[in-house]
Amino acid sequence: MKIVVAFKWAANPQEATVAADGTVDVGRATLGISEYDPQAFDVGRRLADATGAELVGLSVGGPAATSSMARKAALSRGLDSLVTVTDPSLDDAAATRTGAVLAAAVAQIGDVDLVLTGDASVDLGVQLVPSVMAGLLGWPAVSQVTALSGTPGDLRIERNQEGGTQVLLASGPVVVSIAADAVEPRIPGMKDILGAGRKQTTELDYAALSVEPLVAYAVVGRARPELKARQGKVIDGADPAAAAAEVVAALRATHVL
Amino acid sequence: MTEIWILVAANPAIDNLVSRGRELGGQLVAVVAGDRSCAEAIAASGVDRVVWLGEPGATPVEARAAAVADLVAEAAPRVVLAASHPAERVLAGALAGRLGAPALTMVSSVRLEADAVIVTHATFGGVAEETVRVEGPVVIVDECGSVGTGLPVPIEEVTATAPPTLTVVETRMSSTTRVDLGKARRVVAVGRGLARREDLALVEELARALDAEVACSRPLAEGLGWLSRDRYIGVTGQHVHPDLYVAVGISGQLQHVVGCRDAGTVVVVNCDAKAPYFGECDYGIVGDLAQVVPALTAALA
Ligand SMILES: Cc1cc2nc3c(=O)[nH]c(=O)nc-3n(C[C@H](O)[C@H](O)[C@H](O)COP(=O)(O)OP(=O)(O)OC[C@H]3O[C@@H](n4cnc5c(N)ncnc54)[C@H](O)[C@@H]3O)c2cc1C
Ligand SMILES: Nc1ncnc2c1ncn2[C@@H]1O[C@H](COP(=O)(O)O)[C@@H](O)[C@H]1O
Repeated sequence: MKIVVAFKWAANPQEATVAADGTVDVGRATLGISEYDPQAFDVGRRLADATGAELVGLSVGGPAATSSMARKAALSRGLDSLVTVTDPSLDDAAATRTGAVLAAAVAQIGDVDLVLTGDASVDLGVQLVPSVMAGLLGWPAVSQVTALSGTPGDLRIERNQEGGTQVLLASGPVVVSIAADAVEPRIPGMKDILGAGRKQTTELDYAALSVEPLVAYAVVGRARPELKARQGKVIDGADPAAAAAEVVAALRATHVL
Repeated sequence: MTEIWILVAANPAIDNLVSRGRELGGQLVAVVAGDRSCAEAIAASGVDRVVWLGEPGATPVEARAAAVADLVAEAAPRVVLAASHPAERVLAGALAGRLGAPALTMVSSVRLEADAVIVTHATFGGVAEETVRVEGPVVIVDECGSVGTGLPVPIEEVTATAPPTLTVVETRMSSTTRVDLGKARRVVAVGRGLARREDLALVEELARALDAEVACSRPLAEGLGWLSRDRYIGVTGQHVHPDLYVAVGISGQLQHVVGCRDAGTVVVVNCDAKAPYFGECDYGIVGDLAQVVPALTAALA
């Protein structure tokens, strides 16, 4: 019985530079485990401990996703083992491709009845990869999950839902996206980091996964989004009343108020 | 005639998707995974056809994603639209997987050509924009809008067959009012700069004086839970286009700012003169929100 944690090795776009022609360069940005994915590791570890399941990390991406830094970062977060699928063409892959590769990898890993993911990837943040993967596996997907109990195959799932919360029971395999505030992720200690080196990483061959061809599409234009020109009048609020009066007067003068 | 399909999990507020579909031309078909009342609201929201999967009972609506994907795949539309809510995203992703089609978010324009769909959308959290040419179906996750109005069309019921492996055993509602910030003309948003929950009152008073809606950054809704989740603005939260956006104690990180970049006028209050938000504002006040916010409220009186 295996629980898979799908996580992304990614950069925060805040650190990216975008050229005038719209090409994005993340070359100088720091790569790391996508901001909200550690939550999935922690929830997965707890459930694996409670049920005796094996916790397997799974990451898809460009060659950096299987660098020793990426492997250590993931393996020090409580995984039993790690599986990666990397190929230069998977660098910045869009959601459908990534989801399809993840689904094929989960099938290849075998004996998996639960896949955990984060809420949104830090770079693309489309919140679609988990459901693409689920759709292709023929499994349901549940998002915004705050707690899991029971055993994979007979799982109690608590999740946020518009205007409240809901408890679900899953009697079959399922893809679960963990909410960003489900747990406060643990920071790996020295022991975890040292232990990471002894754990196994399996690199799956992308070509051998034979992912179905996708609808052809091509990027035909790129641009830096045009930002509205702003006044940029920043004033000191040491005298709050005077500052407030000045701003309110300006808003009235420009008919915003 | 071209068909455009709209995926609905349980939220009938889709007028934005209906207008998007109308601009493209063709027949608008909505497929509804939620209950009868949702299907009825959709049937009266300006679409041409409604296909309803029948009462979900104890099946969570997203668990019908495969059934929805079957229906839509059979119809083979060129464009499929879905609102950017969690359950709708599940339907959209499952369908994109089934079709092998690109799923695009933060879309600014969609155009049909004879043999392709041309879509412009923001990517990398909004730092860049790309235009893609898709030679086949494309799934678009877009802003939902409000509940629309139109002449009611009949509801065509089909039966979803797949045996559910997911069941709802308990539902707890905490708030019944759903806010729609998308149409708000003025918004006062507050962030982590708010030291205590009680201080929310200051922000609410300012919002009242401005006749504005109260919104927040993600950590205030998720994590702290001081405001409901449908009030946080940003890449994963709501997208707003008010005439006036007042950001109080929000640093101005990309993931927040992309949700309100279209605002007419932006006012920022932050005690750190180096906060990134000052680089994207019309008027900024460097100061403690505990003093500046009441001063703004007073100045409006
Ligand atoms: C995938 C992903 C998606 C995300 N989606 C969203 C999203 O949709 N929306 C969103 O908001 N965030 C989102 N985030 C989080 C985002 O990156 C930031 O962490 C968040 O916006 C920060 O919120 P904040 O500005 O309130 O807090 P902080 O960044 O902590 O800023 C608080 C600010 O308050 C100021 N301050 C402190 N005390 C005072 C005072 N007394 N008076 C005045 N000012 C004060 C500080 O100077 C600081 O600038 C996302 C992150 C990721 C990784
Ligand atoms: N390349 C990837 N490899 C593994 N998991 C991923 C990858 N991309 C996205 N995910 C998972 O899917 C979640 C949502 O990502 P996204 O749909 O891109 O917002 C992330 O938090 C990850 O858990």
